[in-house]
Amino acid sequence: MSSIRPRSAAAYWLAIPAGLWMLAAVVLPTLLILWVSLWGGQSVSPHNPITFDNYTRFLSNANYRWLILETLGQTAMIMGITGVLGYCIAYFLTVKVTSPAWRTALFLAFVIPFWTSTLIRAIAFVPFLGVNGLLNQALLALGLIERPIQAFLYSRLGVSMAQVSLYTLLASGPVVYMLNSIPPALREAAMTLKATPFTVFRRIILPLTLPGIVIGQVLVFLNVLADFITVTTVGGNKLAFLGNLILLFYEGSQIRATAVVSVLLMAVMLAGVAVALRIVDIRKVGG
Amino acid sequence: MLGARGQRPRARLTMHWKTRSRLTSWLLGAVTIGFLLFQWLPMFTMFLLSFAGENGGTTFPMNGVSLHWYRKLWDADLFDDFKPPMLRSFLLALGCSATTVVLSVSAAQAMRGRFLGSGAYFYLLLLGLMAPGILVGFGFAILTRLLGIEGAWNTTAYVVHVSWALPFGFMTMLAVFNRFDPRLEEAALTLGANRITAFRRITWPIILPGVIGTALFGFSLSYDEYARTLFTAGSDGTLPLAIMAQLDRQLTPELYAIGTVTTVMSLVAIFLCTFAFWLRSRALRGRPTP
Repeated sequence: MSSIRPRSAAAYWLAIPAGLWMLAAVVLPTLLILWVSLWGGQSVSPHNPITFDNYTRFLSNANYRWLILETLGQTAMIMGITGVLGYCIAYFLTVKVTSPAWRTALFLAFVIPFWTSTLIRAIAFVPFLGVNGLLNQALLALGLIERPIQAFLYSRLGVSMAQVSLYTLLASGPVVYMLNSIPPALREAAMTLKATPFTVFRRIILPLTLPGIVIGQVLVFLNVLADFITVTTVGGNKLAFLGNLILLFYEGSQIRATAVVSVLLMAVMLAGVAVALRIVDIRKVGG
Repeated sequence: MLGARGQRPRARLTMHWKTRSRLTSWLLGAVTIGFLLFQWLPMFTMFLLSFAGENGGTTFPMNGVSLHWYRKLWDADLFDDFKPPMLRSFLLALGCSATTVVLSVSAAQAMRGRFLGSGAYFYLLLLGLMAPGILVGFGFAILTRLLGIEGAWNTTAYVVHVSWALPFGFMTMLAVFNRFDPRLEEAALTLGANRITAFRRITWPIILPGVIGTALFGFSLSYDEYARTLFTAGSDGTLPLAIMAQLDRQLTPELYAIGTVTTVMSLVAIFLCTFAFWLRSRALRGRPTP
């Protein structure tokens, strides 16, 4: 017994506003994109015949095909880097740091930037990576390089650095959650049975944190695929991924082309999420 | 089984496992500290350069120290005035926050009623978390165009912002209700309270910290949102749009100043909330029974 009766009418009434809101603001617009991408004819109107011409036209351009591959490559790279980095940080913060005060302090230092604007954080990378930027100054002072490295800013390297900085928390957070939910008795039992720390990690910790890794990777995957802010601020105009192409077509009033790229992006995302759901059951993690 | 497998690497490696464990700690610690520096130094650079002198550029060396760029921010002309967009962002975030709280609490409470189709409902709300802003914004722009509705920051952008913050609030409230002890409500109901009174007097005060968290999510997600607003805000933009427009024209230390101001505001808000939670948990600990 609780303040709401199971399967009562009240439950339906309480569920309806949020459900309708999501249907109107997320599901319906997404279906509309799918519909618009199939519009044929010359003018942009709902009365056009349905065709796949928009897709064949887009995919017949080798530059665009290459752009899709580049976007996927960039996403895979960032997933790899943030995955390893995020796991190391999560493991250090939850397992290796024993003092509660230090753990809280480090954890806050890790999480707080996530609560500030992503756009501002991306812009902050401009003076950090520039020719006279802090990174170059530091490397010069340390004697590691002889003259400033130009390639940090307005390049793929710079964009990748910014993306790693922005998205590592997404890869790390779910792992922290899973690590915290492992009872210490499990590790102690294994240690009593004379397993080395590495064996404990490989046979107990890693399998139990796998759902966290997968969820983190899904979050990074979705964010990097759709990221266009970091690419425009840190990459200048020299670089474009699928997200930038969507914006470019939209600003050029090419609604159908915008819809085509959006649908392709959506298809890639759905495929990725489907693969992840085959590995772990997301609903079990929360419970 | 574990023991037998554990023997092998120990026999092969000369280093004792405790030494190796300590080495791993140092290595992981170095990685963590390195990453934290990498995460904070760009923001620190921005803070520092926002205090550059009048002739200061957007990069080092810093020409003098002054509040010039903050003053410029304050008495800006019509073209690069950040105050109206900032006010719009603030009001939009407040509205989004309030709506998110109401919808998330009622949706999570509904989930406790395990109604028919609640499984699909869960995924429907989760969809907003997965769908990227650029797609939602573009799709909603098509929808409003087909319906002949003019986009504006306080109508279309508001609807889309709530759809972005709602999944976060919903997940937060679900987690809160998962840890919630229904026996407390049962006691109230047994003592003759009706369900609404039980919710208002018992449930609500207990879930209040989660509600505050949801409100924070609603505010900050809306305040910082760029992609969804870009497609739906119409002619009067929010702060992130104004910042991006200024960045397109020219990068000036003024942008660093506005970046510093908004970041400091976020930090103050986080600090106040953490402090409030700390006070509350201390007050609760003081009582005889939790």
